[in-house]
Amino acid sequence: MGNEAIVMKDLCKDFKVLNRHEGLKGSIRDLFSRDYKTVSAVRNVDLTVNKGEMIGYLGPNGAGKSTTIKMMTGVLEPTSGEILVNGVVPYINRKKNCENIGVVFGQRSQLWWSLPLIESFKLLRDIYMVSEKDYQDMLELYRSLVDIEPILHKPVRQMSLGQRTLSDILAAFLHNPDIVFLDEPTIGLDVSMKAKIRSLIAGLNEQKNTTVILTTHDMGDVDALCKRIVIIDKGQKIYDNDIEHLKSYFGSYRTLRLKLDDDTWEETLIDESKTDIMEVINRADRQKKIRDIELIEISTEEVIKKIYEGEAS
Amino acid sequence: MTPRKLIALTRAGIMESLQFRLGTFVTLFANLIYLVLVYYLWKAIYASSGTDVVNGMTFNDTMIYLILATALFNFLEMFIVWDMSRSIQSGKIILDLLKPMTFRKYTFWSYSGSHVVSFVLTFIPTFVVVMIVTKGAIHMGLNLLWFAIATVLALIINFNIEMIVATICLYTESTWGINIVKETIVLLLSGASIPLAFFPDKLGTVVRYLPFRAVYDTPLSILLEKNGSDTISGLLSLFGMQLIWVVVLTIAGTLFWNHSVRKITVNGG
Amino acid sequence: MEKNKRGLGFYLRIYRKVLVQDLKSKMSYRADFVISTIGMIMTNLAGFITFLILFGKFPSINGWDYHHMLFLYAFSLIALTPVQCFFDNNWNLRFMVQSGDFIKYCFRPINVFFYFISEVFDVKGLGQLAFGVGTLVYAWNKIGLVVSVPIILKLLLYLLTASLFMIAIMNAAAATCFWIQGSGYVMVIMFRFKDFAKYPASIFSGIFRVIFTFVIPIAFVAYYPSLVLLDPGNVPLLSWISPALGILFFYLSYKFWMLGVRRYDFTGS
Ligand SMILES: Nc1ncnc2c1ncn2[C@@H]1O[C@H](COP(=O)(O)OP(=O)(O)OP(=O)(O)O)[C@@H](O)[C@H]1O
Ligand SMILES: [Mg+2]
Repeated sequence: MGNEAIVMKDLCKDFKVLNRHEGLKGSIRDLFSRDYKTVSAVRNVDLTVNKGEMIGYLGPNGAGKSTTIKMMTGVLEPTSGEILVNGVVPYINRKKNCENIGVVFGQRSQLWWSLPLIESFKLLRDIYMVSEKDYQDMLELYRSLVDIEPILHKPVRQMSLGQRTLSDILAAFLHNPDIVFLDEPTIGLDVSMKAKIRSLIAGLNEQKNTTVILTTHDMGDVDALCKRIVIIDKGQKIYDNDIEHLKSYFGSYRTLRLKLDDDTWEETLIDESKTDIMEVINRADRQKKIRDIELIEISTEEVIKKIYEGEAS
Repeated sequence: MTPRKLIALTRAGIMESLQFRLGTFVTLFANLIYLVLVYYLWKAIYASSGTDVVNGMTFNDTMIYLILATALFNFLEMFIVWDMSRSIQSGKIILDLLKPMTFRKYTFWSYSGSHVVSFVLTFIPTFVVVMIVTKGAIHMGLNLLWFAIATVLALIINFNIEMIVATICLYTESTWGINIVKETIVLLLSGASIPLAFFPDKLGTVVRYLPFRAVYDTPLSILLEKNGSDTISGLLSLFGMQLIWVVVLTIAGTLFWNHSVRKITVNGG
Repeated sequence: MEKNKRGLGFYLRIYRKVLVQDLKSKMSYRADFVISTIGMIMTNLAGFITFLILFGKFPSINGWDYHHMLFLYAFSLIALTPVQCFFDNNWNLRFMVQSGDFIKYCFRPINVFFYFISEVFDVKGLGQLAFGVGTLVYAWNKIGLVVSVPIILKLLLYLLTASLFMIAIMNAAAATCFWIQGSGYVMVIMFRFKDFAKYPASIFSGIFRVIFTFVIPIAFVAYYPSLVLLDPGNVPLLSWISPALGILFFYLSYKFWMLGVRRYDFTGS
């Protein structure tokens, strides 16, 4: 086995859904209709992920991110194409695959609802057959990264959303899996919890060399965690490269802000590969009095927005 | 509160129930099998009894009664208790409480759509089949109209029982326990599993004055013109009983709900 | 890592641990426990009253007298305990499937069915067990059956057999929700079918006899297995082979359930 954690080739997933008709009459007609249509959630995706990488798997709503993760975790069978996770075909060897992965799925807690977190941990320890030493080491590592004491003895049902998400992430890493899939782990969390979770994930990845596949709509997560970004839209891969390259996806844009005499700011988006910034400033200086200058890097968020919008039209 | 809003809710309910298309057919089919079971059981009972008429009911009478009771049961069935406990657990109840009408009204009218669907898909077919098989044993006259009225009243009584039980669940979290108690009492005392005519006299007398009877037994008695419902005075006393329970339970249910709604503690975030 | 290290011992150990934790957390909901137990007692009482009302009017059914019927009734109650205690989570299946929460059971390196079922242990089923045992002992005495070690072993074996059929029925009924949206009623009605398990299957005839024996095997929930004890001189072949059939039915229902998991396409993100 090489250095690849995940290999996907030409992966496709179609769903068959009933064509629903509108209105009351439509509903009655649907009762007998056999009119199905096919939704292609994932189309011909090729992707190779190396061990220890942290990948931002991005795309607009309904792009097919969760569907891809469900295939990588072995829950869904691909319609066609190949997929190997840690060298096994997840769909066929679901149990074996699950030994070596951890999953956090949005806001759905996978812990035992009425048990205190520590009891859930102990059960997971037994289920994954983690040795007592590895288990204690992992708890130690957790303690060094976040403050887990306040939640350790709380039943999951009594936790706040943030605490629950934190617990789920800890549970996903507990058996020291090779790959962890995080599907929108920071959805609905406040800024400080987000920061806490980001540093936790970064720390675990660094210490344990865990491969992390992260989907999110928060570019802050991506900036903080991911070197490499994969973007899909309408099921198709449209970008797969470093986050640095992303910023030059549409050329190397920066925003130039000039403060004029009347205290207003004038903004221009400049593609540095085509135009020289100094020239723009000089030209402006000749026409009006400039009191202040700011040069702003384009944010990941803006680039992503451009990509999503560009693809949508 | 405009009627348009209510009709919209009903319409949405109808469409939602129709979404479960296979489920609808399966339900019909499962009911049919259930009726087969009922048929064989009572056939054996009558065959062993040696007489044709027991407690004034022939085998045919009993079957018609039980078949229609099952159909009526399906038609009236609500899952308010479960729905409520689920939406309390998920926190969704907050959204329902914020709807621009009272929660009780909202719940009632959201269910009306599925009532319409199950009336058309279960009760009417069952009724037609019974008519065909028995070659018209059910009298087709004014009793149909009285039956329709009695069914609407039964619906309201049933809704109130459900709501009161669901409200109790706000206090205990013991949905299963509360619900099973309710189901047991309703099924036994309403005449849905054994016709009330078979009850021993003393028990029968008590049961006649309880609200559960007004849910299944009253509409069916009226439809089949039993229990004196073929006379004006008999009819009036049956309707009177139903009306009294409608008023009592509606008031009690509303007061109880308004008092308890403050208790709601919402789980999760 | 070897492949087969998660054997029966592993699953039993996990189950015990989940069970202990579950019981611990249940202890903190004492009110729920009390109410559920009351509910359980009430359903059993209601079932018993129904039984008494019927037999108050009819001395025997299909040649079965009161005490033999009581035996069947008790037998079916005990046979119901395992499905009640260990497989109760099946009732939650359709909600989990509908909301997509079911997916969480698929991320662990253990059997999905086991993981799902292990999550709920239902203590209140034990009340029913006590009720059933009491009734069985009473009927046993009245009929005048002998007590000996081989007979008790036989009783246990056939009780287990009967419960396998009940588990199989409920598994299959629950699993329909993987294919059919809105199939919740299937479970409800199957659970009601079990009420007919306490009558001798000889009341059915023709095609329905076959259906209730081999398709919806309620005839095996009490009738066939208890014939071994009630009528030792004259046991039909089906009674003898019912343990093997029970295992087969359970296995098939398990396979059906797992097939549903594979087929289900996990709605929701
Ligand atoms: N079980 C299903 N049945 C039918 N269609 C489905 C199913 N699951 C997903 N889809 C469709 O497949 C497409 C991709 O869905 P998916 O959940 O993978 O999107 P996503 O990228 O995770 O979106 P989001 O960011 O909103 O979570 C959508 O169009 C969705 O409607
Ligand atoms: Mg998603």
